[in-house]
Order: sequence, then C-alpha cells, then structure tokens
Amino acid sequence: MTAQETSVPSPSAGPQEAPVAARVPERVAAAARRFGLVVLLIVLLPVFAALNPAFATYGNSMIVLQSVAVVGVVALGVTVSMTTGGFDLSAGACVGFVVMVTALTMVRFNLTGGTAIAVGLAAGLVVAAVNVLLTVVAKVPDLVATLGTMFLFQGLALIVTSGQSVSAGMTVAGAPAPGRYTEGFVWLGGGTVASVPVPVIVFAVLAAAVYVFLNHTRWGRALYAIGGNAEAARLAGVRVARYRALAYAISGLCAALGGILLSARLGRGDVGAGDPYLLQSVAAALIGFAVLGANRPNALGTVVGALFIGVLINGLTMLNAPYYTQTFVQGALLVGALVLSYTGRRERSDR
Amino acid sequence: MTEAAEPVVSVSGVSKRYGATWALREVTLEIGPGEIVGLIGTNGAGKSTLIKVLSGAAQPTSGTMRLDGRAVRHAGPLDALAAGVQTVHQNIDDGVVFGTTVAENLTLDSLSRKGAGWFTTRARTNAEAREVAAAVRLDAPLDAPVETLSASDRQRIVIARAVSRRPRLLILDEPTSTLSTVEAGLLLDIVKEMAAAGVAVLYVSHRLAEIEDLCHRVVVLRDGRVRRTFAAPVDRTAVVEAMLGDLAHAGPVDGAGSRAVADQAATPVLVAAGVRTRPGGEPFDVEVRPGEILGVVGLVGSGKTELLEQFYGARPLQSGGLLLDGLPYRPRDPHAAVKAGVAFAAEERSAQAIVPGWSVRAHVTLPRLRQHSRSGLLSRRSEYGSAAAVIERFGVRGPGVDAPIETLSGGNQQKVVVGRWLEASPRLLILDEPFRGVDVGARADIGRTLAEHSAGMGVIVASSDPQEVVELAGRILVLHEGNLAGEIRAGDATAGRLATLMSGAAA
Repeated sequence: MTAQETSVPSPSAGPQEAPVAARVPERVAAAARRFGLVVLLIVLLPVFAALNPAFATYGNSMIVLQSVAVVGVVALGVTVSMTTGGFDLSAGACVGFVVMVTALTMVRFNLTGGTAIAVGLAAGLVVAAVNVLLTVVAKVPDLVATLGTMFLFQGLALIVTSGQSVSAGMTVAGAPAPGRYTEGFVWLGGGTVASVPVPVIVFAVLAAAVYVFLNHTRWGRALYAIGGNAEAARLAGVRVARYRALAYAISGLCAALGGILLSARLGRGDVGAGDPYLLQSVAAALIGFAVLGANRPNALGTVVGALFIGVLINGLTMLNAPYYTQTFVQGALLVGALVLSYTGRRERSDR
Repeated sequence: MTEAAEPVVSVSGVSKRYGATWALREVTLEIGPGEIVGLIGTNGAGKSTLIKVLSGAAQPTSGTMRLDGRAVRHAGPLDALAAGVQTVHQNIDDGVVFGTTVAENLTLDSLSRKGAGWFTTRARTNAEAREVAAAVRLDAPLDAPVETLSASDRQRIVIARAVSRRPRLLILDEPTSTLSTVEAGLLLDIVKEMAAAGVAVLYVSHRLAEIEDLCHRVVVLRDGRVRRTFAAPVDRTAVVEAMLGDLAHAGPVDGAGSRAVADQAATPVLVAAGVRTRPGGEPFDVEVRPGEILGVVGLVGSGKTELLEQFYGARPLQSGGLLLDGLPYRPRDPHAAVKAGVAFAAEERSAQAIVPGWSVRAHVTLPRLRQHSRSGLLSRRSEYGSAAAVIERFGVRGPGVDAPIETLSGGNQQKVVVGRWLEASPRLLILDEPFRGVDVGARADIGRTLAEHSAGMGVIVASSDPQEVVELAGRILVLHEGNLAGEIRAGDATAGRLATLMSGAAA
C-alpha cells in the first residue's frame, strides 16, 4: 500500500495548492531552464557579429543554414525515434549508406536522379526495417540494437562500393563507369529558390511537418504516450508495436532524405561521408529537450539545437578557432543542455 | 515459546501519518522468541507501513519500539539491520544480483564487512557460500548463474543471507506469492526451523492456509489499527471477517438500486463460457447483462486481474470462449477490445494509466484520439469538450483541464481515468480495483456517476474489498485462489457469507 497516494479524505479538498510565490532563486532557475538556450542563442548572434562583421551578412547566414540543413533533417528523424522512448543510433550510418546508394544508382548504373531519390528513400526504409525487426520483433533494447544496425550499414556501404568512393569516371571492371550525377539531382544540394538554398527549404518544410505531426495529430500523441508510459498507452488501446515501427520508419526516411541532400551537395559518393552526422544530429535532438522546458524530444527544440550547433561552429570558425576544437565545443554544448533538461526534473513529478 | 520470555520485539502505540492520512494508528504488537506471528489485512490496511517502521524504512510519527527490551529508534534501514531486524521483501529479484553466481550472491554481505580484505578468491567465496546455503538446505550448484535458478531457489538465497546475519526478528513480506504450492511448503518448513531456533518471525501473507499452518498468532490490521488478534488454531472465516470489517448495509448508493435488477430478457453483453483465471484452474462461466453491474471480489492473488484482462485482450484467453452482444469476441490486443466496445481501467493507476506530465485533457482523450481528429489534425475544441464533460460528470476537483494530472489528488485522478472510458459509451466497462487509494468522497462520486451513466451497458467492478462492490453491484462473484467460490446477490451479501467464500472455507 502506498499511503502517499491516498488523497485528502475531505471531499471538498482541492489538490494541494502550490506555495503562492515560489522562492525567487527557484523561479530564476526555472526560467533559466526554460529559456536559457534560446536566450544564449540570441545573445551569441550580436557577439559574433561584433567580433567579425562578415558574420552578420546574408551570405553567411545562408552558409550557416546550409550547413545546418542536413544535420537538422537527420536530427528531426532522430527526434521522432526518441518520442517512443527509442533511440536511432543508425541515423548517421543510414546517411552514409544512402549517399553511396544514390551515387551508385546514377554513376554505376546510369539511372536518372529521380530513380536515385527513390532508391535512396527505399534504402532508408531498409535500415528502418532492420531496426524494427531488432527492437520490436526481437525485443533487443533500442540503444544496442540500433548500434548494431549502424555497424551493419556502415559496413554494407563499403561492400557495395568495394571500399572506394563513387564518382563520375571511376573505373568499374576495367572500364569507366557509364553515368554521372544528373543536373537535377545536384540542384538539390547546390540550387537555390529565391536565393535560399534548396536544402534549407527542405529542412524548413520538414521541420514544420514534423512539428505538426508530433503536436497536432493523433499519431504524434500516441508516440508521446508510448514514450511516457508504454503500458498505459497499450491499455488505452494504442497499438504500441506499430507506432514504434512507425517512429523508426520516419527516422529512416529522414536520414535517407539527409543522405540524398548530402550526396547532391558532394556530387560524389564519399566513403564515410555520413559519419559526423550521427553525433551532431543526436546532439541537436538532445539539446532540443531543454528548449522552452519541454523535457522531451520535440521538433522546435531540435531546430533550435541544430541552429545552435551551426551558429557556434560557424562563429568560432570565423574567429579563427581551429577546426579541431569543433567536436569539443559541440560536446560542451551537449553536456550543458543535458544538465539543463535533466537536473531539477524531479520537481515536476513531485506531489 | 515460553510465556515468561521477554518479547524480542515490542511495539507500543505506534502511529504513522502521511500528509493528512494516518497509515497506522496506535498499533501495539509483541513477538516473543521463537514465535511466528501472522500479519494480515487488505490493501491499504497498513501492513506495508508497519513493515517499513519495523525495518527502519520509515520513522513512526509517535509511539515506541523495543528490541530485546531496549528502546530503539531506527534512523534508517541500516540501523534496523544492525539491531538484528532482517526483512525479506515480496519481490524476490530485488534481493539477488543477476549476472553473478549463486556463491557470489550468497556471500554478498561479506563484501561490505570490515576486514574482508581486498581480494576475493573462488575457494574462499565458495567455502563461505556453502556455510550460508546450509542453513536453508539449498543445494544449488554454487558456480551456476543465479538467473538459472528457480524462483524458489532464488528466494532461498535471499532468506539464507538474511538468516546468516543471525537476526533477532525476521520479517517475511508475502514470501510465497510467486512460488508454487510445493515450493511454498519447503519455505514454510525453513521458517518453522528458524523459529524453533529462537528467531521471532513476522509473517505477512494473503494465503490463509499458510497462516493457519504456520502462525502461533494472527494479527489483523484494518484502516491502520489492530482489529483483532487470533491465537492458533485460527478460524479462517473469522480472520477474513475481521479483515473486511462490517458491511455497511445502508443500501446501494443513489441510483444504483434500479441497477440491481438487470433486464433478464435482453441478450447478455458478455458471455464467457469455460474461462479460467490461470492454467489448471477450474473453468467457469461469467455473464453480464445490459444495465447490470457485476461485482467480482476475492483476496489478493485470487485471480481477479488475470480473469478481467482476458476479457480485454490484455492477456491471452486461457480457455473457453467469449460472446459480446451475442457475437463471437476474441480480442487479440486491447486495441481490438476498445474497437469492439470494451473498456478497461487497470488496477495500478500510476503504472498502468498515468502518463507522467500529461494534462487531464490528454488523459481523457487518449483512448479515442481518432474521434477527436478532424482531417488528420487533433481538434482542441473536441478534446476540451470531452475533458470538460468528464470533469463535470464526475465532479473532478482540480486546477483545470490543462493541468498535469499529477497535480490532482488520487481520487480525482481516478475519476479521470475511469471517466474517460464512460465518455466512449462502451458496451462493457471493466473496472479493476477502481477505488484503490481513493478517498471516501471520490469513491461515492465515482459510484454514483457510474450508476447514473451506464444505462444499457454492462459493467464489471472488481475489488478485494467487498464493501466497495456491495454498494454498486447487483450480483457478486467470489473468487478464491483462482477458482470461482460462489455467487451471491448483493442483497443477500453479509460479511459472514462473503468471508466464508473469500477464505475458501466453503469448499
């Protein structure tokens, strides 16, 4: 028996009232948790601009956004995978695998850009299918299952290309490869619409779509219900296995989309091109937990997280910080955000 | 046990308050050396709190406790251990470390003993383990991983460790709840031997047969007070009667009176033929008619939840077949049950119904999100409408539809998780222990609203406290250890008859 759960026996008693005014330091801490990251991002912008005038130009803004776009697209997928309490560690490997698959489709098999996109998205679904088999069917814990999938598809990307990069004019069985990247496909990575780069547009549209999906549809609500209390969701009639599969499918498709954009920007299939995207996208999604006190994976937070990483790295680069400090800076940012979203979390659930 | 011996443990006038609730009131209890005292009571009677106070996990609000005549006040569980109080908790697997061997588990305590040295060797560990194991006649291979052992052997490891610390008082909290009858028998023999060696034992169980077999005395708790003490040989029926208290026959709550008479001509909402609570149980039939509230009562472990979850697709049907409104019904999962018009409010509210941090509104609409969608998007208006309706009907008191559900009192949370199903107008509404941790006022609110708004549907209310069921139901099924012990009309239900059936004394 849990005496704490027994409520006040008086029928007229309402819920325990919170103290009229929480103490000032507590309120400051609460505000810092809620708005800390957004404020920090807004403060960073004029600081970088003051230190280097070239930072605050339209051109540089687009460079930042362009660099953020692929990470952001992948991170939105990771975010969806996290809503059910899962975790897609295979996202980065999926990006790399799709880069190779799209390059092969056009260069080695001389097929159209449209076919390459379709094959790339299908490859994302294959990665997702393996994740679903492992987590939902074989009941392997998400973190280690997707770690396994990550290795599988990093390896598979090497096998299908014999460990070599795929570019136009490469030698295949003694003869030059027949195809090359189509113009339309390359436009996805380097083109602009009204001077906004295409990947940025894709990122913006996807962010809006994921936001609406998670916050305003029953599917999103069901995903969060599973993440919050899977047993309660099951007993409320939510088909938990299907929704967990759906989450991985969306994550796989987003990673594939990220891979397509990256492949288009590179114009070739580079071995290991997807490698940095796992840590960056996971960091963006986790930083997103802390945005506006959501304390859970959310689309808006992930966008802020991705922008944060992009701005910080671009700003530091323009201040001539060496490239090899980038990983450390991202790590520090992630650790800070984790403290923001996990520390003091208890308060919320206290009776 | 000699009358003159000084009691090992002596608790006098102990009370414990949580917030505004008294979990224990003026409890007085003595256990002498070699004496086995049974502690029994329904959920919420105060058993767990008494165990916590004795084992140092909670401090009494008032009252005194003596061990071997010396006044003690445990600041924490370690103090109680040092004073010679050993507690074996209900969940066996909390007491063993998976991934290590039997020997390592048996010798866990020596890891933190002073002077144990820095290194462990297999030979020394095994020698020590053999000594510990001998006390409970455990002859499992010492090098076997602990997870390969049966539940009963794992249990014996936990008890062996407790015994090796030479306790003065041993508290066993439902030690047989996961064991088979044979395994339980072995355990009882060990407990008897330990008592013969002079250890005082407090034995908490819902299994009356064990209490009867084992205990020199039985203490019955109800509402935090010691209601009665029985000396062996105990009369099971009398024990259960003391546990349950008098049935208040003030008549059913308003509106429920008419419910008692179900429409006998109509097709039953649910017909369950040849169902069982568990494999090997006796098959029986259950029928619920439209407009009827059927009560299901039984002590903890009698199979109520196991039966009801089969009707909801939450666990596979053991045997027999189901008809819903005369049509074959075999739900694969809760989703299928909900679609067919069956609703289920589970026993453990916080583990099985509450999504942490979610608002009242989101809890209300979760089972029926599709109905609240307009061209793919959730309609706030529709959601608010539903949530407001539940709040209105059930008189939910709290800060509003958007407040996190945790900010509501237990009773008001329960109104939300029960009320949301009524909104769906199901054909069959199944409520498993709907009044657990719910105050009297909220209980009356829920009962009244159920009686008023369930016209035409079938309702099943299960509880281990018959009082809660008698107020609502027209007909009551009594389960005992997985089998149907009998059926009574609510009007004929007396504390004595229910106690006879619930204790299995009728069989």
